Amino acid sequence: MATPALGSILLGTTNPHRLRDWYTAALTPGDAGGGFTEVTPTMFACTFGDTSLLIDGRDDVADKNSAPGRVILNFHVDDARATADHLNALGVTWLVELEEREGGLFGTLVDPDGNYVQIIELKG
Amino acid sequence: MTGVVPMVADPPVPGTPGGVRRRARLRAITLESGAPDRAAAWYRRALGLADADPLLTAGGVELRFTLGTSDAPYTGEPARIILNFLVDDIRAAEARLVALEAVWVRELERTRWGIIGTVLDLDGNYVQIVEPTPDSPACLQRKEEQP
Repeated sequence: MATPALGSILLGTTNPHRLRDWYTAALTPGDAGGGFTEVTPTMFACTFGDTSLLIDGRDDVADKNSAPGRVILNFHVDDARATADHLNALGVTWLVELEEREGGLFGTLVDPDGNYVQIIELKG
Repeated sequence: MTGVVPMVADPPVPGTPGGVRRRARLRAITLESGAPDRAAAWYRRALGLADADPLLTAGGVELRFTLGTSDAPYTGEPARIILNFLVDDIRAAEARLVALEAVWVRELERTRWGIIGTVLDLDGNYVQIVEPTPDSPACLQRKEEQP
């Protein structure tokens, strides 16, 4: 029997289209597959490696995440500096700009709902 | 969750310059907790993982726990971020959660997504166990690493 897999992480939001567009622009640039697919008119899914991000329009969350540090999504990228340049061109909000730490390059973004998104390039 | 709607792909997104070729991989999720060691132990038992594993991973995604700085003991908005764990045997997963005396938000039920149950973790986050069916949307099927 296979070990349970974190098959998806669902982000509840009052504005799923805005959040989908942000993640598409930020993390799937030039993606031939188009990034997110529509699961329902208010739910979108995109695979990022071994798991999916689900963006779900809901009415049981506020417009902004009032406690964003409680959960952080950690995305690994091949070239963090190129990713940061791309993100800067998009005008994203950084909580912590890309910096070199032990282990690699790390930067933390804030998505339009206020969720924290970490970009990581580990040293080989 | 809404009613049955056909899967429709969005139109392709125009190429974006920037030199980023491969899509980002969601490799880890960091959960803040009032008691990180206890939270990690809860997830190990909930997922049926061995205590000896140095990393707590579930299908290629690492679960990390850090000490929370908030005074609030529980997540105020549990629907903000929900973790969906895919399992082969939903009854075995349910039994592990019952043994942990987990609080059920939604007991197991059959949906268009497969069989799903929802519990609270020790910090009040929503954790779902999902046994997908062959008809479940692709986003709820097990994945292989992207090329």
